[in-house]
Amino acid sequence: MNMPEERMDRKRCCTFLIENTCFAVEADNVTEVLQRGVINNVPLASPAVSGLLNLRGRIIPAIDLRIFLEFPAAPPSIKQISLIVDINNEWYCFLVDKLLDVKAYDPHQVTPPTNDSSSVLTGVLPDTDQLIHFLSPEKILKSLLNIRTESLSVG
Amino acid sequence: MADNEEFISEFLIEASENLDQLDQDLVALEKNPHDPDRLASIFRTIHTIKGTCGFFGFTKLSNLSHHGEHLLGLLRDGKLHFDEQMASLLLELVDAIRTFLTAIESTGKEGDAAFPDLCQKMDATCLLAADPQNNQTEECLASPSSSTNQSNQPDDRTTSTPEEQPVVSTTSNHPAEADKLAPVASPDILSRSGSTRSNNTFDATIRVDVQLLDTIVDLVGELVLARNQLRTTATNEPALLDAVNRIHTVTGELQEVAMKTRMAPIDQLFNKFPRIVRDVAAACDKKVNLHIDGSDTELDRTLIEKIRDPLTHLIRNAIDHGIESKDMRSVAGKSTSGEISLRAFQESGQVTIEVSDDGAGISVDAVCKKAVEKGLVTEDAASAMSDERIFQFIFEPGFSTANAVTDISGRGVGMDVVRTNIESIGGTIDISSQRGVGTIVRVRIPLTLAIIPALIISSGGERLAIPQPYIQELVSLRKNGTTHIIDGLEGAPVLRLRDRLIPVVYLDRWLGLRDWEKRPTSGTVVVVKVDNHEFGLVVDAVTTSENQHSHATETTGLSFIVVKAISSLLAPMGIYSGATVMGDGSVVLILDLRGITMAADIPALTRRAGDLQSTSEEPSEVVQESSRYLVCETHNGHRVAVPLNQVQRLENFLESEIDPAADSRFVKRNGELTQLIDPDQVLHTSKELGKEPTGSLVGIILPNELGNKAIAVRRIIDIETGHGPLEKTATKRGLLGTLLVGDSATEVMDIVSASQWSEENPLS
Repeated sequence: MNMPEERMDRKRCCTFLIENTCFAVEADNVTEVLQRGVINNVPLASPAVSGLLNLRGRIIPAIDLRIFLEFPAAPPSIKQISLIVDINNEWYCFLVDKLLDVKAYDPHQVTPPTNDSSSVLTGVLPDTDQLIHFLSPEKILKSLLNIRTESLSVG
Repeated sequence: MADNEEFISEFLIEASENLDQLDQDLVALEKNPHDPDRLASIFRTIHTIKGTCGFFGFTKLSNLSHHGEHLLGLLRDGKLHFDEQMASLLLELVDAIRTFLTAIESTGKEGDAAFPDLCQKMDATCLLAADPQNNQTEECLASPSSSTNQSNQPDDRTTSTPEEQPVVSTTSNHPAEADKLAPVASPDILSRSGSTRSNNTFDATIRVDVQLLDTIVDLVGELVLARNQLRTTATNEPALLDAVNRIHTVTGELQEVAMKTRMAPIDQLFNKFPRIVRDVAAACDKKVNLHIDGSDTELDRTLIEKIRDPLTHLIRNAIDHGIESKDMRSVAGKSTSGEISLRAFQESGQVTIEVSDDGAGISVDAVCKKAVEKGLVTEDAASAMSDERIFQFIFEPGFSTANAVTDISGRGVGMDVVRTNIESIGGTIDISSQRGVGTIVRVRIPLTLAIIPALIISSGGERLAIPQPYIQELVSLRKNGTTHIIDGLEGAPVLRLRDRLIPVVYLDRWLGLRDWEKRPTSGTVVVVKVDNHEFGLVVDAVTTSENQHSHATETTGLSFIVVKAISSLLAPMGIYSGATVMGDGSVVLILDLRGITMAADIPALTRRAGDLQSTSEEPSEVVQESSRYLVCETHNGHRVAVPLNQVQRLENFLESEIDPAADSRFVKRNGELTQLIDPDQVLHTSKELGKEPTGSLVGIILPNELGNKAIAVRRIIDIETGHGPLEKTATKRGLLGTLLVGDSATEVMDIVSASQWSEENPLS
C-alpha cells in the first residue's frame, strides 16, 4: 500500500514451495515468517487446521497448506515454515515447505486458471523456469469454514 | 470538515451523558419538586444542547430544545409547577432529543422527525402559566409569543442564526436571571464546560478511548505470559534471577492496575433504573419507590453491558408482577406504594446484585404444581426439595404461561432468557420469596471475564480448561470403589452418583483423541451443570498446574487463566469458548460447556438416564441435600463430618503459607485473609498416634455469610450420605450431633457455632 507511486502497477508476492510446486500469496498481508514452532492440537477441527500457535501471546490458528491442498502430509525430513498472514485483522499461520522469495510482479500478467470464483487458486504466473500459483488466503479461510459447517451438519 | 466531525462526536458523547443525567434529575425532581439547583442544571443542559446544535446547523433539534428551554425557564422562575405530568412531558422531550442524537450519530444528519406534537404540548403548557396569575401578563405575553414565532417558522432558522436571541429576550424580561445565565450565554465552548455537571474529579479523570485501554490490557496479558515463560526457564545466574524476580513483581502489579482500567462502577447501569421504574410503574398504575444501594460497586465494563437486559427484565417483572395493585396492597395492610430495592456488593471475587420487592411473593406450591404438571419433576421428588430449588423451575424455558402469570404472580416470563444471559457470563441466579412479604432475586456474576478460575484437565494427551463456575464436583473412578460408570439404555454410559444417574461423556473419545473397546476404569469424572443439565465429563486426570495468580490454589488444579479469544475460524465449532497460554507457552483450549451440552445432546441423554432410573430395580432413594456430608480427617486423626450444603469450596494450603498473624491463623487467598478454624481445637480432640504434621492441609471454605473462614483438616475422606436421624448428643460446643455416616458413627460439626467459637477464641 505504501509503495512508491511509479510502481503502483507492480505488486509484490511471497513465493514458497509445497511438494515442489511453487505457490504465492500477496506479500502485503504477510506479517512475518518463522520456523514452525510448537503447535497445540485442536480436537475436532478440520484436518487442515494443525492447531493453535502461541506467537508472543497471540493465539493463532495454523493451517497446513499441504493438507489443505490435498498433498500428502509433510515427511519428518521437511522442516515446515510458518507464514504469518493478516486476514482482516486476524492473524493466521500458513505452514509451507520452504520459503523462496519475495518478488515484484505485474498483476496483469497473472492469468486466472478457472472460472470458478470460489477457487482458492486465483491465478497463474509464468516465471523463468516454473509456474507460480497464486493463492487467496481469504478464500482458503472461507473454504475451511464451509468444510466445517458441512461436517457438523452431517454429524 | 474532519474537525467538525470530531466536535460533533464530542457533542454526541457529552449530550447523551447529560441526557442520562436528565433522566435521573427529572425523576428526582418529581419526588422533590422544590429543588432549584436541579431545575437550574436541567435548564442549562437543554440550553447547551440547543446552543450547540444551532452551531452545527441541526435546526430541528435546536428548535425542539428551544421549546423545552422555554418551558424549563418558566418552571425555574416558579411560573409553572413541576408535577407528574410535567415530568412526563419533559421526559418525552429527553427521548425526542435522544432520537435526534441517534440519527445524527448514525447518519450525520438530524433526520426527519420533528416532533410537532411535542412542541405544541410544551407550548400549551407554557400558556398555562398565564392563566392562574393575571398580574404576570407582561412576561407571559412576551415569552409565549417568541416561542410561537419559532414554532411557526422553524425552517427559516439557518445555521448562521445565533441562538442567543431568545435567551436574550428572556433575560431582558427577568433581570434577576441575567447572572445565572451569564456563563451559559457565553461562547459555545465555554458554555459546554460550564454546563458539565459539577464534577470534583474533573482534574483527576480524562476521557480515554476504550479500545486503547483494551489494547493496554492485552499487551499486559502478553507481558504476563512472557514473564511466565521467563520464570520457567531455569537459570543459575544470580543477577539474571534477580532481574527476573523484579520483572515478576512489576508485571504482577502492572496486571492488577491494567485490570482495574476495565472496571467501572455499576452506577452507569443503575442510573437508568429510576427512569425505567417510573415509566413501568406509571404504565401499570402502581406507585413504586426504588432504593439503590452500592452503585459504586465496580465490575468489568463489558459485563455491565451484558447484565443490562437481564436486570431490566427483573425490575420490570418486580413492578409488573411482584408489586400488587394499590387496592390489593391496602387490603393486605401495606403502604400503597411498593418498594423495590436494587443492591450491589462485592463478595469473594464476585459481584452480587439483588433485586427485591415487598410484593405478593411467589407461592412455592403453585410453582411446584406447575413443575409437576409440566413433567419437570415428580411429586415425590419435589416434596423433598428446598424452596430455592423449586423456584429454580421458574427459569425453565416456557415455564410461565399467561395462566401462570396470575397463579405465581407472573415471575417466569422470559426468565429462561434471563438465566441464559447470566449463565453465559459465568453467573448464577436464584430466587427466594415469602408469600405476602416479597421476593428477592439474587444474581451473582464474576468481577471479570478476562481472568477466570478454571480447572486444567488432561484427556487423551491434551490439556484442556473447564471454567470453574460450571463444575459441581469431581468424582474419582476407582477400580474397586463404589463409584462406577454403567451402561445405560442403548449403551449410553451413565454415572451412578449417590441417588441419581447422570449421563457421562468420555472426553477423549468424544473429541476423537483416543478410541478404546473396553471402558477405562481409572480417571476422574468432572460433574458439571449447565442450565440444570447435569452431566459428567470423564477425563484422565486433573492436572496440577503452575499458577499465574496466587499460590494458594496451586495444588488443587484450579488456576486463574487469562482468557484469549480464539480465531473466528474455530469459534463457530461451538465447543471451545477461548484459549489461554500456560506458563510454558503452550496453548490450552477452554471448553465451552454450553456448546458441548448441545453438541453431545445431553438433554436427550439425561432423559434416557431418567428412563433407566425409573425402570431400575433398586428403589431410588430421595436424598435431601442436607443429609449429605463431607467426611474428613482432622490433624489429630479424628473423623468429622460437615454438612455438604455448607461447604462452599475446598482448597489446599501449604503449612508454610499460613500466616501466624497476631492472635489467629490466617491464610491469604485471592488477596484476602481467610481465618482457619481447627476442628481439633473446637471439639477438644486428643491426638492420635502416628498422625504427624503433613506440611499441607485442606481448607473447607465456609459460606460467605459466615465471614472469610475455612475449616482446616488433614484430608478429605469422601462425600457420604447420612442414614437415619441425627442423634443429638450435642452439649459439646461446635457439634451438631452424631450420625451414622457410611458405616461408622461420625461427629457432625455445627458450622455456625464453630464459626462463632473461632471469633471468641481467635488464638487457635
